[in-house]
Amino acid sequence: MIKKYIIKKELNMEFRNNTSLFLITPTMCVLIIVFPILSENRFRVENDIFLIVELLFLIIFTTLFSIRNPLNEQKLIKELNFGSIKKVDYFYSKTFSELIIFYPQIIILLILFSGFTNTSLNSSLLHICLSVLFFCLNTIMINLFFQIFTTFNNRFVQFTLIVPIYIGFAILIAPLWLGLNREISNIYLMMFLGITMIIYSFTNFYLRKS
Amino acid sequence: MSLFFESDNLTLGYGNQLVIKNLDISLNFSKNYEITGKNGSGKTTLIMCISNNFIGNTFNSNIRRKDTSLMEIGSSPSLMPELSLLENIKYFLFNDNINENMISNVLNKYELESFKSDLVGDFSSGMVKRSEIAIADLKNPKVLCIDEPRVYLDENGVDLLLNLITKREKEGSTSILSSQESIGAFTSIERSINLND
Repeated sequence: MIKKYIIKKELNMEFRNNTSLFLITPTMCVLIIVFPILSENRFRVENDIFLIVELLFLIIFTTLFSIRNPLNEQKLIKELNFGSIKKVDYFYSKTFSELIIFYPQIIILLILFSGFTNTSLNSSLLHICLSVLFFCLNTIMINLFFQIFTTFNNRFVQFTLIVPIYIGFAILIAPLWLGLNREISNIYLMMFLGITMIIYSFTNFYLRKS
Repeated sequence: MSLFFESDNLTLGYGNQLVIKNLDISLNFSKNYEITGKNGSGKTTLIMCISNNFIGNTFNSNIRRKDTSLMEIGSSPSLMPELSLLENIKYFLFNDNINENMISNVLNKYELESFKSDLVGDFSSGMVKRSEIAIADLKNPKVLCIDEPRVYLDENGVDLLLNLITKREKEGSTSILSSQESIGAFTSIERSINLND
């Protein structure tokens, strides 16, 4: 299902694509540095709004990342047929490569935000990393699904449709980041895992059907 | 004789606009076909439908196709402009058992060896087409569809393409060419589909 040549190609294309790594990530970093000074005139954000702002940055960054390079359905079909590549292989390899690109960036971004605002989340590092991993997986699969199986491949429509879904995923993260006790956090993580499995099954059903 | 594509009422279009109406078509393995017609007659649409690259309205046409190794060299390139020629070759042929020597021989044959590390995005249209023909030569699909075969190619490029078609004919592989007029590339044609009729 996951082909290393597709991952290699996706990573190569990402490093040569100026609009993602070289534009979105630095822009987000600058926003993170500037935000606390603009909002509170100091490198600190009140605990009450920290969580909401961090989630907001997570959603903005994920949205920018998702719409950075929309797939063209016609070009994609030509590419897959030209190389006799199965859609299912492409989908999972692309999901994996997007995760390799996106996950470390989002973790670094969250650490930077926490550092520049001198505020931290009350949750354990493991819970934060796992919740972000599930969030990344879900957003990547939903985004690819929209681009491959629907004709909503223009940035505006993509933006309008996926942002409410991302907000839903972010709401699931909020209780985990609020610092619940371990048992309840585990329940929330299991719930997130279940949602990831449902999305995986849903996309898998469509991939096999197509 | 085994069919790889068949339809007895093929109707194709974009939105509600019809491009091809009620065409009876059945394509066999190991035979050659030619599609001719004037501009806008539906040559590209038909070749895209045959090669499973068509995104448009099929008006519930009854299309039966066999899962086979099929490749289309179309009017727009399939290669990735952000990758080098060698990276493109390795990407598109990762399913095939192709070694470095074979790649090098074919690149020399198509005079592309010195450009293998260059990005395809920096290539001219003729070079891109030559590269796609080289990949088709390496892959050797059972069915090869080429839309407007002569377009963008220089004299030497056309000769290389004609040699490839002749080689495929001898090997018993299927080639489908679409152009405004017959280019006389085949020694025997199973059917010439004239879309002007």
